[in-house]
Amino acid sequence: MKPRRLAELAVLTAVALIIFIIELQIPNPFPIPGVKLGLANIITVYAVYHYRAYETAMMVAVRLLLGSIFSGNIAALLYSASGSVCCLLGMLLLRKIIDERHLWLASVFGAVLHNTGQMLAAVAVTQTAQLFAYYPFLLVSGCLAGAFTGLCAQFIVPRLKKIKPKTK
Amino acid sequence: MKKSKTTLLIVAAAVIFLAGITGSLFVLFAPKQSAVNIIQDGKTLMTLRLSEEKDRTFVLPYGDSSNTIEIKDGRIRVKDAQCPDKTCVHTGWLSSSAMPIVCLPNHLVISFADSEGEVDAVAE
Ligand SMILES: [Zn+2]
Repeated sequence: MKPRRLAELAVLTAVALIIFIIELQIPNPFPIPGVKLGLANIITVYAVYHYRAYETAMMVAVRLLLGSIFSGNIAALLYSASGSVCCLLGMLLLRKIIDERHLWLASVFGAVLHNTGQMLAAVAVTQTAQLFAYYPFLLVSGCLAGAFTGLCAQFIVPRLKKIKPKTK
Repeated sequence: MKKSKTTLLIVAAAVIFLAGITGSLFVLFAPKQSAVNIIQDGKTLMTLRLSEEKDRTFVLPYGDSSNTIEIKDGRIRVKDAQCPDKTCVHTGWLSSSAMPIVCLPNHLVISFADSEGEVDAVAE
């Protein structure tokens, strides 16, 4: 990997991490496990469309690991990791079908898949099927949050294009 | 070709969204019951009949962590917890039979018992 590309990935990961930490400071008005805006995914959605699959996966892995350490909630790593794996796989497939002008749509599916993965992990860990009661809320919040982060990503694409020379 | 697939996916997303809303409403308006299970790691620790329980608080330890449960006026909630996210505390009182109080870090679930209807009918 070229140093320049490595540096780009590092900067994007750092930005995602900062967004993640800031979001943690904002009190969540919905006390439902797994419901959150997930603003750091703006970077993930952008990366899926601008970097190779393994590069994006690396970024997400680093962010998840450092994020769980910085937030002091290491137990949550299992849930967020299962969610992220589902989300990434789904979006990498959808990248072939959905063009970049519909980034928000890819992001919606990413978020819904993320919440689904998280849900399954939570049910597996707690061995309590009652948790599925939260699934409808996670679907709704996934659609809304996914659309929002996707639109944000769509918004920053032209801006990043200006400062970033073509490398691909 | 790509465009029609995109349209199809937009419709799919809309269907997921509406299904989510319908499911959420269903869960929110499910009636509450009077028997409650406290489940940790998939095992039912205790079953409480809230209407017959005295007001009290007790601590459920879990490793180095714990949850403080409060029963008051026939209602139950997690009053305090040592978990990192405190979602269980913010959920407040248990109000819907379909939506349990969950503390994921401590693997704790507090939910209304399923077969309560039958038990009640026999008891009264
Ligand atoms: Zn908790």
